[in-house]
Amino acid sequence: MAVQKEYLLDLWTHFPDVLEGLQEDVPGQFVATVPREVLPAIAKHAIKQLGARFVISVATDRRSKSGDYSVSYILAFDEQREFLVLHAHVPADDPTIASITPEVPAAGWSEREAFDLVGIRPVGHPDPRRLILPDDFPNDAHPLRREFQYNQLFAFEPQNAPPRKDAPEGATVVPMGPFYPTLEEPAYFRLFLDGEKVVGSDYRGFYNHRAVEKLGDSELNYNQIPFVAQQICGICGQVHSCAYCEAVELATGVDVPMRAKYIRSLLLELERIHSHLLWVGLAGHIIGFDTVLMQLWRIREPVMWLMERVTGNRKHYSSNLIGGVRFDITPEAEEDIRRVMDKVETEFKAVVDAVAIDTQLMSRLKGVGILTEEDARAIAVVGPTARGSNVAIDARVDHPYAAYAELGVQKQVQDGCDVWARTMVRLMEVFESIRLVRKCLDDMPGGPVMAAIERPLPAGRVGLCSVEAARGEAHHYVLTGDDNRPYRWRVRAPTYPNLQAVGVMIEGEQLADVPICIGSYDPCFSCTERVETLELNTDRIKVYSREELEELSRRKTLG
Amino acid sequence: MFKAKLKEAVICFGAGRVTLDYPFEPVKVPPKFRGKIEFDPRKCIACGGCANVCPPRCIVIEDMGEVAKLTFHLDRCIQCARCYEVCPEDAIWPTEQFETATPDKNDLKSEMMVWMSSCQRCGRCFEYDNAIDRFPSKRWRGRGPGEANKHGIFPTKPPIAFRPPPLVREEEP
Repeated sequence: MAVQKEYLLDLWTHFPDVLEGLQEDVPGQFVATVPREVLPAIAKHAIKQLGARFVISVATDRRSKSGDYSVSYILAFDEQREFLVLHAHVPADDPTIASITPEVPAAGWSEREAFDLVGIRPVGHPDPRRLILPDDFPNDAHPLRREFQYNQLFAFEPQNAPPRKDAPEGATVVPMGPFYPTLEEPAYFRLFLDGEKVVGSDYRGFYNHRAVEKLGDSELNYNQIPFVAQQICGICGQVHSCAYCEAVELATGVDVPMRAKYIRSLLLELERIHSHLLWVGLAGHIIGFDTVLMQLWRIREPVMWLMERVTGNRKHYSSNLIGGVRFDITPEAEEDIRRVMDKVETEFKAVVDAVAIDTQLMSRLKGVGILTEEDARAIAVVGPTARGSNVAIDARVDHPYAAYAELGVQKQVQDGCDVWARTMVRLMEVFESIRLVRKCLDDMPGGPVMAAIERPLPAGRVGLCSVEAARGEAHHYVLTGDDNRPYRWRVRAPTYPNLQAVGVMIEGEQLADVPICIGSYDPCFSCTERVETLELNTDRIKVYSREELEELSRRKTLG
Repeated sequence: MFKAKLKEAVICFGAGRVTLDYPFEPVKVPPKFRGKIEFDPRKCIACGGCANVCPPRCIVIEDMGEVAKLTFHLDRCIQCARCYEVCPEDAIWPTEQFETATPDKNDLKSEMMVWMSSCQRCGRCFEYDNAIDRFPSKRWRGRGPGEANKHGIFPTKPPIAFRPPPLVREEEP
């Protein structure tokens, strides 16, 4: 194939023979198979020298196909609007690969995950502890291997819990969890404190890992997965089902009607509006500014009712199938959407006019939770977290999907690198989304909303799709299989890279600022039962209830 | 700061009361609402289409030779509406019911049995246009033994009609 891209030419000159099998089956998605020995070197070169963004790596058990395992690195070239997928085969009798984490910190979790789920050991990983599997899971069981059944039972082995990170000398350890005060999911942070300052942290999570990928490649079929995918997140369900469907459609060459693409974009933007309204409200709640919570959730509720009228459910729209969407937007629904958008815009503008000049709010959010542009790029954070740190990435513009290539999205970027900057990005994005909803309705072409799929989908094709969720880029990778289901389906939610940035973000902050710092990258909030402080020297245990920790965070606002 | 607080106060007072009186006042769901499913054993041909597309395996069909047994585990239902989208006989449909909380999980399970035989015309039960949803089924609904089972149906465990008792607001003492 003709190589015209500058970055591909550069790779070509540095690694002359390995890119020979480069293919572009899907426009903008380059796939190459390289030897295992050079894969880490190529990935490092692309990230360090050519400015590629590490998206995710995928480990696959291909023993039923080619008799070995494989590791695939997905790299995004955002400026060129392209993806590069580097596959390497890993022999079944020696499932190891050299780790790139020392140079590319963003790869840290996905390499640990590759060992947990498929059993490919990253050699030279600085922190090769168990990440995903439960504490009492057998050591030699790797759930994404083909011989492992989705409902397999085994004896618990509690001694397999991963060791905890040692605290620095003299630091106090404050465990936060297993339910995080502002996270919906269980997450267990151990904060290392020097006085009130955070000097380090340790994280143990994935308590809610429910192995949808295993179900996807062993139990469900192509058209069932969108509905399981939309249950991955209670807020960005449409994002995940859309990303999965687009990945399969790209891989198999299904031609989706234009009207269906516009409907997907429309629903995605409506979802972003209510997600951002939810976040701003909750951010206010964390710092004790409940007026913002009450008023923004009041503004948000008509959007939820609108979705119930338009799609049949306030949250899980169930709109996507391979090949298109299941229902059309009727003229009455269009009228309804326009009416609600006008109301939301007026009311939201009034709130933004007030809070944007609220100096009390600024004093809590400005200069807090600093994530510098260099750190943001190194950890490859996504979404408003990245855009608040002056990293102008937005999958809607960089890797357009659905109808975004026609819609012309304006990226919202701030250079404050703090919680305030992330808040401003989200506030501005609501107005942008309202504009996009109207543009969708104005430009929506007529025609069918579902493509005809007459033959079974072909096997062995690779498709990628990044969808910009409210909290960042959700990425789905699909390798199609024979029996009407994917051979490998990999989901990377936006919080996956963002959570890895928490350690950097909270270092040097006060304990009372930790909830809003972690809250500022928009995980799913909820409540906790308690937070426990253990003082190392005296073994004295102080138990903070949820109310006490919230009180600590809120008292700081009052000064 | 005072300007901001003044603006915020105006917003709060302007909003008025927005809380609904649910559950003391019933809530009307919109026409497209995907509520609890109901099915009609007299229409079902046990083609298995609903069970084939059901993502959470809420609907399970068991081939028992002469009889097909359908089990509906409504506690698993995710309200995706795929079953009534593919049903060729309109034998299953959504209701407006969303209050399905119950102290006994078995209340959410219902079963039915349908007598089967091979299709005399084409040997095939039903074929979908969409290749992903297609599946091999070569059976057709047959007749049960005796007049009592004219429709060939055994509703072994009929669905329970959920009607929670109306809530009454307690008087202030």
